Amino acid sequence: MSSHNESILREPLITGKNITYAQVTDDILLPVENKPNKAWWIGFIFAALGAMLWVVSVSYTFWTGIGAWGLNKTVGWAWDITDFVWWVGIGHAGTLISAVLLLFRQNWRNSINRSAEAMTIFAVICAATYVVAHMGRPWLAYWIFPLPNQFGSLWVNFNSPLVWDAFAISTYFTVSLVFWYCGLLPDIASVRDRASGLKQKIYSVLSFGWNGSVKTWQRFEIVSLILAGISTPLVLSVHTIVSMDFATSVIPGWHTTIFPPYFVAGAIFSGFAMVQTLLLILRKVMNFENYITMFHIESMNKIILVTGSIVGIAYLTELFIAWYSGSEYEMYAFENRIAGPYAWAYWCMMTCNVISPQLFWFKKIRTSIPISWVLSIVVNIGMWFERFVIIVTSLHRDYLPSSWAMFYPTWTDVGIFVGSIGLFFTLFLLFLRFLPGIAIAEVKLLLKSSSLQHKTKLVQEGAFPEEQVEYFRNSLGKYDSVSEEDINALKVK
Amino acid sequence: MDSNKKYWKGLEELNQTPAFVKGSKSEFAESIPVEDVLNEAGLSTKTPRRDFLKALGFGLGAVTLAACNRTPIHKAVPYVIKPEEITPGIPNYYASSFNGQSVIVRTREGRPISLEANRNSIGLNQGTDATTTASVLDLYDMSKLHNPQIGHKDVEWSALDATVIAALNKATASAKQITIVSNTVNSPTTLASIAQLAAKYPTTNHVQVDAVSYSGIIEANRTSFGKAVVPSYHFGNAQVVVSVAADFLGSWLAGEEHTQDFIRNRDHKTLKSGKMSRHIQFESGLSMTGSNADVRIAIKPSEEGAVLISLYNAITGANLSGGVTANKKAATAIQLTAKELQSNQRNAVVVSGSNDVNVQTLVNAINSALGAYGSIIDLDNYSKQYQGSDAAFQQFIANANAGQVGVAFFLNSNPVYDYYKSEDVKNALAKVEFTLSFSDRADETATTLKAIAPTSNFLESWGDASSKEGYFTVVQPTINPVFNTRQAEQSLLIWAGNTSSIYDFVKQNWEATILAGTGKDWKQVLQTGFIYKGTNSGSFYTFNGDVQSAASAVTALDKSIAGEVELRLYESTGMRDGRYANNAYLQELPDPISKVTWGNYAAINPKFAEQIGVGENGVVKVEANGYSVELPALLQPGQAMGTVSIAVGYGRYLVGKAGNNVGENAFPFAKLVNGTVQFSSKATIEKVAGTYELAQTQTHHTIEGRNIIRETSFAKYLQDPNSESGRFSDTHKTYDLWNKFESPGHKWVMAIDLNACTGCGSCIVACNVENNIPVVGRDEVRRRREMHWLRIDRYYTIQDVNEQNEVVGYTEEKKIKHLQDFESVTVVHQPMLCQHCDHAPCETVCPVLATVHSSEGLNHMAYNRCFGTRYCANNCPYKVRRFNWFNYWNDSRFDNYLNNEFTQLVLNPDVTTRSRGVMEKCSMCIQRIQAGKLQAKIENRKLKDGDVTMACQAACSANAIIFGDANDPESEVAKALRNERVYYVLEEINVQPNIGYMTKVRNTFEA
Repeated sequence: MSSHNESILREPLITGKNITYAQVTDDILLPVENKPNKAWWIGFIFAALGAMLWVVSVSYTFWTGIGAWGLNKTVGWAWDITDFVWWVGIGHAGTLISAVLLLFRQNWRNSINRSAEAMTIFAVICAATYVVAHMGRPWLAYWIFPLPNQFGSLWVNFNSPLVWDAFAISTYFTVSLVFWYCGLLPDIASVRDRASGLKQKIYSVLSFGWNGSVKTWQRFEIVSLILAGISTPLVLSVHTIVSMDFATSVIPGWHTTIFPPYFVAGAIFSGFAMVQTLLLILRKVMNFENYITMFHIESMNKIILVTGSIVGIAYLTELFIAWYSGSEYEMYAFENRIAGPYAWAYWCMMTCNVISPQLFWFKKIRTSIPISWVLSIVVNIGMWFERFVIIVTSLHRDYLPSSWAMFYPTWTDVGIFVGSIGLFFTLFLLFLRFLPGIAIAEVKLLLKSSSLQHKTKLVQEGAFPEEQVEYFRNSLGKYDSVSEEDINALKVK
Repeated sequence: MDSNKKYWKGLEELNQTPAFVKGSKSEFAESIPVEDVLNEAGLSTKTPRRDFLKALGFGLGAVTLAACNRTPIHKAVPYVIKPEEITPGIPNYYASSFNGQSVIVRTREGRPISLEANRNSIGLNQGTDATTTASVLDLYDMSKLHNPQIGHKDVEWSALDATVIAALNKATASAKQITIVSNTVNSPTTLASIAQLAAKYPTTNHVQVDAVSYSGIIEANRTSFGKAVVPSYHFGNAQVVVSVAADFLGSWLAGEEHTQDFIRNRDHKTLKSGKMSRHIQFESGLSMTGSNADVRIAIKPSEEGAVLISLYNAITGANLSGGVTANKKAATAIQLTAKELQSNQRNAVVVSGSNDVNVQTLVNAINSALGAYGSIIDLDNYSKQYQGSDAAFQQFIANANAGQVGVAFFLNSNPVYDYYKSEDVKNALAKVEFTLSFSDRADETATTLKAIAPTSNFLESWGDASSKEGYFTVVQPTINPVFNTRQAEQSLLIWAGNTSSIYDFVKQNWEATILAGTGKDWKQVLQTGFIYKGTNSGSFYTFNGDVQSAASAVTALDKSIAGEVELRLYESTGMRDGRYANNAYLQELPDPISKVTWGNYAAINPKFAEQIGVGENGVVKVEANGYSVELPALLQPGQAMGTVSIAVGYGRYLVGKAGNNVGENAFPFAKLVNGTVQFSSKATIEKVAGTYELAQTQTHHTIEGRNIIRETSFAKYLQDPNSESGRFSDTHKTYDLWNKFESPGHKWVMAIDLNACTGCGSCIVACNVENNIPVVGRDEVRRRREMHWLRIDRYYTIQDVNEQNEVVGYTEEKKIKHLQDFESVTVVHQPMLCQHCDHAPCETVCPVLATVHSSEGLNHMAYNRCFGTRYCANNCPYKVRRFNWFNYWNDSRFDNYLNNEFTQLVLNPDVTTRSRGVMEKCSMCIQRIQAGKLQAKIENRKLKDGDVTMACQAACSANAIIFGDANDPESEVAKALRNERVYYVLEEINVQPNIGYMTKVRNTFEA
């Protein structure tokens, strides 16, 4: 990631004038080094209230039993596992951005990876709470691991996808956490260097003695690459394994070989949507417009479009296979999704996940911040419904019609879900308050290669032919952080 | 190579210092301060820094060793003086009887825990009905009275006795009547004790009245044959059975006995020999019996008489007026039915559920014409289960109102609740000087009376019964009275001045009257439980009734019932007349047809509901005979248009915690016609505001065209016994991902005959009792969380005529939506329980191996290991796994009956209760299998077929459930599973279930 002169055809990843390394540090550490603003407090109060709702709902469940939820003899999983898969899926974008895009040298990831990884970790924490909370006897949750025990030679069932799940999720969480924290080290050191007193001491410990030497940087880069290498398979494996919770069963609507790729695509789809939801607010509230630019927004929208289309094709494939298989149970499961008592959920999913991302074919929509934000929310709603549809509509009418039943959520179901969103945002807001929300060191890498000011300088020096510059000027039109003046400055002096 | 080299470890060794030489002699070079440590001073010595690791090591080692100790064993405290007959852990069995049926009571450590039919007894059935199986819970009912009461205050028995004797003397002195009102009493002892009272107080009389009365049959037989009895019916001897609104497999007379007899002529063994009876049912509401009929015609209650008149005409060639004219379907069916009946002379029987003398006279005429008396209808060995007389009770009320009754006792009788004019009863009783109830609880009648002398439960009492002429069963106690109760017979004896104990009285009575001439003694009776004194059959009965006048009276009765809307009351299979309303097992037993628990409802045809604007969860107001009640509507396919059916037995308000205010009382809808209580009348029905969600255990009612039910007709079966069974294993090659499970020893499997199962549900209750399955209550059933390990799925097929004018059965929701006629349905009952799949989907997905396969082919559930992910339940294609959503044993919100130490004594100690958060399911009564194996081992023999029975199997009168070892080719079950009709539910997904089902065969007309 050395600095070099890149093609003028590439859009800038950092906008703004007179951005220096110091300026980058100042800008990004602004929320960390100052008292939080009103927007943060409002957000935090709501999030904390949500988190409290979560505590109340989960405590109530632990106190009374799973009966506090709306589950029944037929529908044994509903909102719990829907929420679990939803949160795990959301986490995937962070890993994809931090690992896969790193390996593919996608520099634009540098300004969004930090928040995306944080999102991953918090999302996985939220997901993990469901793993424990949905158990009938959560105090025995540790039995999921093959621990030596006094029960004789009692072991776990390695045939069970839930065991795979436990490994997948715990590995995923560990690797993500390590990756995230390693990336944070130089930035924490920056905070440390600018802080004083107790704060300096704390950040000093947290920075693991980062001294900024060449050797440190070299090791940092290598560790990042190694961790990226380890994380990359996890992007595929985690949701593949989650999908096997369903795919290995015998229940029509679950018993499907298409699930692994379909779930991975869906996970990335929903993850990017969540990153979009968070970053669009973040850049506005934290004044990060120069670092998270329209290019980032548009790129993510493109990924949402691609993964959304994959998901759409998966939905249609499922329908086709249900018909083509000749299995009456399979066919009924899908008929029931389309026209049964939960048809509204199916069509909600179809609209949100298949139709709405197709709007991103239009550049106007792709580059419109309010529409992008709304659509990112729509996608997340759609992806929640996707899991609800898969889980509840498959279970509620399976093989024997005598057992068919409806599922109705209780306040506890709703409380735990809404509460988990509160928990997520509480963690996320605390993260923004105490740790840099953008990877300072990695953004700085781009300053001398991909920033607008650098490109402007090169243009002014006449480094590029005019038609290329013209193309570059045109491409800047969509940037909300680039003024007319900035564009006009793109001329040979 | 030799070497002179000498190695030394230190200068001390090299120089051989004295200290070294001394030290090298002992094992440790430095002295170990063991002595110092062990003497008391050692404890106060300082531990030097250098010993830190030693101390740590020792400490860790010591703690580890200490931790290796086993947890202390808590020993159960044994009996100080062990009763001779009780061995802890080993059940004792006692012969007793319930409602006249000989049963075996199983007790553990002195407490009765379950009831099974006495398989050695003859007559009656080999299974038990739901009320019998559930009755053990009534012993442990906390709502019972703990002491006798006068004026709602607890008193001593002596005080009560004094009061009663004073009242009796006063009545005798003033020559006023002393009346004992009871339901049917066939117990010789009870009758003898009443006779004792009558001997002491000559004005004593005994009135028997039943809440659901059969006076009509008794009176009709008096006029027709001069014998005022209810006959015994042997449906097994009939080739054609026609029932007009008689639920003879359910609540009509002796349902379970009829079931056993009737199914004997239709089960897999009979079918194998190419025989099967035909059953035609005419009725308005879909009864359990109707659901098992080969042909069922929906008629209005007002057409019941007309159907019989038409049948009579068609059979005898008579020309009575008043036959069926308007109802075309019924008219056609009657022609076919009559033909059937005629061609099966002496092998056909017609029964009617009416309590009207004239209707029953007509039925007698038909049966006489058919020659049914003798082998099918037995007037010699008549039934004594229902002897109540509506007229006698009328007379009692008249006498009481006239002030002629001085004392009234109520024994097993609750007329304030179940008499149709409850106010009349109350007013009459207010005019009686002294009133007393023997009720075990302060029920609706008892609370209006002056005193209550609570009788003991039958499991605490000595007694007997004679449910049939010549058939006597003994009741022996299996536990001392738990509360301060005294059985009614003992009270009567004491008041009559007889000081003998009830045991002596029963014994003497038996020895003097029953045992005489049988060559058996009292001890043998206690062991066998019954005495059967020969059959005096073969008497010839000539019909002497007046058919002409009966027919015109029937027509008049029909006219009085006929209306736009007609109401028919019925007894439900579980709740019966409301006697057992506080039995939580019965309240939660789903109705065989509607699958509704915890309450009654107004059953109406879905099309009729549409006409009056009522939908699912709607509420209707039904009015008839000046009484009206609001009830939830149940859209019941098969219900005749323009009719409403309501179950009696609900709406009790003083029965106890579980049963109070469950449903609405329907008895007041009844009325007295021609001297008998009638359950049919014209009515009005209207929609009222509000919704009410019935607690149903099944809410989707058709099979959606799936092959989980395989059904054929008898004619097709005769051509090809494989008909419709699929023969999956013969026609499909399967491939397995998993290894085959070997079952080298036993392989426990089951065969269920869909043709035998009537859907009565006694197996469900038996399973509940055996396996300590919690009752969860109405709200939890609404949330679809009932815990039953065994359920009976009931599926309708709606019959309608298609464009080609053929009768077609519809089972798919989307097609049924467009149908116009919901009167013709066929029904299949399918008991569904854990299929113990060899490739069980639940086993592979459990993360902690809490559910595993046994080497005997069973799917085990290790409750202790389960942490409740519910994945197994999700992955069960049969949805038979049940999750403990709450701690039902110890949660006041689910306190239907069990959250107290007393009622918990009903629990079967062989089966652990499950905590919250744990999955459970049918274990194939593993405790019974284990007990059977141990018994065989003790007796040093191989386990025989039949040594182990399942609780459900033992309860089944129809013998629809066959259990055994598939590895024994001669076992009943192995033979049954070789039947051509056998198929496995969902065999195409290759989970390899171990429960085989046999196709449903219907002996329809078309054939």
